[in-house]
Amino acid sequence: PLNLQTANIGLIPPALPSALATARHIEDINRITYPEGIKSPKVELNVNTQKGKFRYDRDFLLQFMNICKEKPDHLPPLDVIGLEPSDTAHTMSRGGSGRSRASNSMS
Amino acid sequence: QEVDMQAQAETIRTVFSDPKNFNVKHPLYSPWTLWFDSPATKGRNLPQTPSTAFPQTPIPQTPGAASGWMEDIKRVISFDSVEEFWGLYNNIVPPSQLPQKANYYLFKEGIIPAWEDEANKSGGKWSIQLPKEKNRSNVDKMWLYTMLAAIGETFDPYLTNPEVPPGTQSLVTGVIVSTRPQFYRLSIWTRLAPSGADDDKLRERIEAVGKHFKTTVLGYNDSQKLAGPLATDVEFQSHKDSEKKGKSTRKIVV
Repeated sequence: PLNLQTANIGLIPPALPSALATARHIEDINRITYPEGIKSPKVELNVNTQKGKFRYDRDFLLQFMNICKEKPDHLPPLDVIGLEPSDTAHTMSRGGSGRSRASNSMS
Repeated sequence: QEVDMQAQAETIRTVFSDPKNFNVKHPLYSPWTLWFDSPATKGRNLPQTPSTAFPQTPIPQTPGAASGWMEDIKRVISFDSVEEFWGLYNNIVPPSQLPQKANYYLFKEGIIPAWEDEANKSGGKWSIQLPKEKNRSNVDKMWLYTMLAAIGETFDPYLTNPEVPPGTQSLVTGVIVSTRPQFYRLSIWTRLAPSGADDDKLRERIEAVGKHFKTTVLGYNDSQKLAGPLATDVEFQSHKDSEKKGKSTRKIVV
């Protein structure tokens, strides 16, 4: 009989899991050494935290901004939930000229 | 033995040492959920694809206005690491480009961004209103710094006092940015609100949250007056007082 489980694996090649999906959570922040030039989180924020729960200062967090750019796997398509950039934010500052242009081209 | 431990230590790769093949990520103190609503989300339903097949939005028990509103607010994503937060941040619309009457709500996972939620109903909010024209170029940074203070769990300075027992819960349940035709509003929601003059300790702790918000997060001076046309100071009001519209209510200003 056909082994469905194997067949499925053969049919749909699984996407390679991203590093983000497979990376483990850091358990002890004090054991992490960062490359030169990267600041560690402020020690005084974590004097009384529990294992695996850390506070991070802004300067530490900002260091990730230009490195972690990959779109999260489970982010829904934004247009589907009505979350789209509004171009009116740039054009409607004075007299709504953006809008009147749009209505002209419609007529 | 010593060599083993050294080898083990060497296998820890953060995103800073290996942006493509890192094997550890930085956990947040709490997992967070981002929600969104705007006039355009009304009546929309998420398609039930595997990528969005997370548990359905729970509806609060309170009937009436809240349940209708809960159908219009969209849960965007939940995350529990610094790396995931930035992946989201770098792929989503900043407040300055949102349509009018839109809101982002970033709340601790399991807390609905409504005052009806157990975690919010005895609380209140710090908020500031900023005229849109003057702040279009500032609002994105202000919202980013607000989110970073929330997920970094630094909004409640009382908690970093070494004498406070580990595991003490933060006062903050979530943060909100709202776009309106004339202004932006940023809000910090708290679990508790001081109820009277006898509540000095809580009032002090709440005020510390407001001061941190005003100075460290938003970058104003401690004593700076911010109220003006379309603008407010950094003000605290309990949700119970916010409900009593029209009646004179007490506000704390920092």
